[in-house]
Amino acid sequence: MSITTTDHDDAHGQDDGAHGDDHGHGPVVEGAENPGGPHETGYKRDQKERLMLWLLIGGDLLFLVLEVFTWFYLRTLNTSGLWNGAQCTTASPCTDGLGNPITSPIAKADPKHAIIIACLSILAAAFVWMSELAAKKGSAKRSVAGWAGIALVFMLAAVAWQIYQFQVLPFTTIDGAYASTYEFFMGSTLAHLILMAFVGTGLWIRAGKGRYQGGTWYRVRLIRFFAVWIAVSTTVLVVVAALFY
Amino acid sequence: MTTAVAPPLLEDTKLGPKAGGFYRRQNIWTGLGFGIFLGFVAWVVSHATIQGSNWGSDMVVTCTMLGWVIGFNVGMGTFNAPIRWMLGHDQTHEDELYAAGVSQGSSRYFKFCTDHKVVGTQYLVLVMVLFAVGGTLAMMIRTQLITAHSSFLDPQTYNAIVTVHGMVMIIATIIMVSGPFANFIMPIMIGAKDMAFPRLNAMSFWVVFSAVPCLLATFFLGGVNAGWTTYAPLSVQAPPAMDAFAMTIIVFVVSVTVAGVNTIVTVATMRAKGMTMGRLPIFTWGSVVGGALGLYAMPAFLVVMTMMITDRATGTSFFVPEMGGSQWLWENIFWIMGHPEVYVILIPPVAAVLEIASTFARKPVFGYKVAIAGFIAIASLSIMVWAHHMFTTGWAPNLAGPFMITTELISIPTGIIFLCTIGTLWRGSIWTRLPMYFVYLFIWNFIIGGVTGIYLSDVPADQFFHGDMFVTAHFHYTLLGGAMIGATAAVCYWFPKVTGRMLNERIGKVAFWTIALGIQVTYFGQFWEGFQGMARRIAQYNPQFQTANQMSTIGAYILMTGWIIFLYMMLNAWRRGKIAPANPWHAKTLEWKVPTPVPLENFVVDPVVTSDPYTYGEGVPDGQVVPEFAPTKEPELVPAGSAASGEPTATGGTN
Repeated sequence: MSITTTDHDDAHGQDDGAHGDDHGHGPVVEGAENPGGPHETGYKRDQKERLMLWLLIGGDLLFLVLEVFTWFYLRTLNTSGLWNGAQCTTASPCTDGLGNPITSPIAKADPKHAIIIACLSILAAAFVWMSELAAKKGSAKRSVAGWAGIALVFMLAAVAWQIYQFQVLPFTTIDGAYASTYEFFMGSTLAHLILMAFVGTGLWIRAGKGRYQGGTWYRVRLIRFFAVWIAVSTTVLVVVAALFY
Repeated sequence: MTTAVAPPLLEDTKLGPKAGGFYRRQNIWTGLGFGIFLGFVAWVVSHATIQGSNWGSDMVVTCTMLGWVIGFNVGMGTFNAPIRWMLGHDQTHEDELYAAGVSQGSSRYFKFCTDHKVVGTQYLVLVMVLFAVGGTLAMMIRTQLITAHSSFLDPQTYNAIVTVHGMVMIIATIIMVSGPFANFIMPIMIGAKDMAFPRLNAMSFWVVFSAVPCLLATFFLGGVNAGWTTYAPLSVQAPPAMDAFAMTIIVFVVSVTVAGVNTIVTVATMRAKGMTMGRLPIFTWGSVVGGALGLYAMPAFLVVMTMMITDRATGTSFFVPEMGGSQWLWENIFWIMGHPEVYVILIPPVAAVLEIASTFARKPVFGYKVAIAGFIAIASLSIMVWAHHMFTTGWAPNLAGPFMITTELISIPTGIIFLCTIGTLWRGSIWTRLPMYFVYLFIWNFIIGGVTGIYLSDVPADQFFHGDMFVTAHFHYTLLGGAMIGATAAVCYWFPKVTGRMLNERIGKVAFWTIALGIQVTYFGQFWEGFQGMARRIAQYNPQFQTANQMSTIGAYILMTGWIIFLYMMLNAWRRGKIAPANPWHAKTLEWKVPTPVPLENFVVDPVVTSDPYTYGEGVPDGQVVPEFAPTKEPELVPAGSAASGEPTATGGTN
C-alpha cells in the first residue's frame, strides 16, 4: 500500500475514502456545540453519530421483533391452555406459578393505559422535533429549551404512567404466558422511556445553556431520531398487546 | 510523495493540574471499591426487602450483580461523560487528552483510557486471562475423564465446570480478535487517528471486564449445571448461580453491541483519504462483517437471558410449559443468536489469516473481492440455519430439510474463503516465520472442523451424532483449532507492533509443535469417543470409552504444555524480547508504516492512500526477486521508534 504524507489541501482529486468532511461541504457547519476533537468537524461528528444511532436502533429493532415474536409464538402454542387461560374452568383448572388453581380466563389489561403511554411518547417526540426546528431556524435558546422542556415533561409523564400501570394491572407475572409477555412489554417500554428521559433532560439543560445555537441543530436531530424510534416501538407494542389478546 | 514538517507529538502536551476532572481520581481500584460497595448495598437492601418472597434469592442475586456492575463502572468513570453531557458540562480538549492517557505512563492501562491502543492492549490481557481460566477448567474436565469412574470431581461440580468453561471460552473467543486487534490495529490500518467513539470503546472494555466476576461468582452460588446453552427448563430450575450467569451475558451483550457499532462506524467514516472500500485490508472487512453479525445476534441473547431472569426472579412463564410457556421458545431464540455467534467468532481470525498469508507469501490476497463476498455470504446464511441445532428436539420436523440445505450451503462460501487462503499461498515465495506456522495449522484444523460440520448438518447423521463427543470434537476443531489458532497467528503477527518487541521464534516453534500435536491427540480422541457413542457432559462413563478418553486427556495435557510455553514466550518477549523494528515483516498495510511504539493518534500527518493494500512485487520484472523480500535474512533490528526498511512512513521519513 503506497501512501503520501501530506495535508488535505494537496489531496484534491484523489479518491476520497471517508474523509470527505474536511472541506466543509455538507449541510452542517460548526457552531457553539463542541464540534469534536481538534481534528473533527461538526459534519464529521454528525455523520458518525447518525450512523451509530441507526445501528443501535437496528439492534433495538431486532429486540422489538423478538418481543413481538415471543407474543405470537406463545399465543399460538397456548401451552397447557395458559396463554390467557381461556380454557381454564372450575372443572378443569389450570395452575399459576405458585401452584394455585386458575378457574377462569386471565383478565385482559385495560388498553387505556398503554394507549396513553404511547400518546405521551408520541407527543414527546413531536416536541423534540419542535425543538429541533427552533434550533434549525436559529431561534433564541429560550425557545429551543422551551420545546425541549415540554418534551421532557411528556417523557417523565410517560415514565410515571408506565410505573402506575404496573400497579393497576388485573394480573401478576405468575398468571400465564399472556401476563408474562404483557409485563415484559411494559418493562421493556419503561427501560426505553427512562433512557429517553435521560436524553431529554440533557436536551433541555443543554438547550437552556445555548448549546444548540449557531448551527448545531443537527445534534437535536439525533435526539429526535431516537425519540421518534421510542414512540414507534412503544406504539407497536401497544398495538400488539391491545389487538391480540 | 510530499513531506511536511511534523508537528510535536500529542504525548508531549503539558496538561494543567485539573485536566481530566474526575478521571484523575478514578482507576481500577476505585472501580473495584465502588463495585463491591454498591453490590453490597444492593445485597443488603434486596435481602431485607425481597428475600422472604417467592423468588427472593434469585432477585437478591440479580440485584447484587447489577449493583456490582453499575458500581464498578461508576468507579471506573464509564458514566462520567454521559452525565457531564446531560448536565451540559462538556469535556475540554485537555480533559480528552488526559482521558487518552497523556502524561499517565503505564497507569493508563488501569484507568478508563480512550486511546484505542490502550484499549486493545487491555483486551489482549483480558483475553489471555480468560483463556487461562477456561483452560484450567478444561484441564479439570479432562482430568476427571481420564478414568471411567473418577471421583476427582463430583457430578454437580463437574457440570458447573463444564458450563463455565463453555461460557468463558465463548466470551473469550468472541473478543479474542475483535477486542485486541480490531481496536489496536484496525484504526491504524485504515489511516484513522482513533476509533470513531473512543469513550464508547473504553466503555466496551470496562463493561465486559465487570462481567467476568459475575461469571466466576457462579461457583460460589451453587454452580450452573445446565451447560453453556443453559436450556430451559434446566436453567429455570438451576441454583441462584444461574442469575449471575444470565447477568454476565446481559452485560457482555452490551459490550459487544457497543464494540460492533464502533467498529462499523469507524470503518465507514474514519478512513484516510484514498482508502476506498476496495482498498481496505481484508482484516478490516472481516472485523466489519463480524461486528455487523454481532449486532444482529446479540439482541437475541439479551432477550432470551432477560426472559430467563424474569422467569426465575419474578415468576413469569416464558419457558415453563405448565404455565403457558415453551422450552422451544428458548431454543429458537437462543440459536437465532447461537449460530451467527459462531461466525462472529470465526470471521475476524479467518480474515487475519488471509492478511498474514498475503504478507508472508508476498502476494496479494487471492480473490480479494470473492473473499469479501464469502464473508458476507457466510454472515447472511448464518442467520438462516439456527434450527439445525434442534433437529433431534422434535420441533418442526418439516423444517429439518430446509435447514439442512441452508446449513450445507454455508460450506460453499466457507470453501471459497479456503480457496482464497490456499490461492494466496499458492506459488508464493513463502517466508515461513512463526505467524505462518499457525496459518498452516489453522488450515489443517479448519478443514477437519469444517468437513465434520457438514456431517452434522445432515439430518440422518445428526440423529446419530447429536449430543455425543463427536460434536464436541467438531466444534473444538473449529473454534480452537480454527478460530483460536487463527487468532494465535494474529498475535504472533502483530505482537511486534503492539509491544515493540519480537517474539522468540525458537521457543515459539516448540510451542507450535506442542500445540499442534496436542490438538490432534485431544480431539481425535474425542472423535473416537463420539464414534463409540459416548455422550457429552457426563462425569463418569462406561469403561468401553476409557482408552479414547485417556488418549484425549493425554492430548489435553500436551496441549496445555504448548499453551504454557506460548504464554511464557509472550510474557518473556513482552518484558525483555528483542526490540522490534517498525516493519519487521516488510508488510504493506498502514499499521506497519507508523513507528513503534505508535504515537497517540497514530499519524502525526494524515496519510493519503494511493494504491491497493497488497502491492507485493509490483513493477518487478518476471524472474527477479521482489526487492523488499529476503527470505533467508533476518530483518535488521533497530530501536523502537525508529525505522529502517526504506519504505516511506506516515511521518514523512523513511523506514
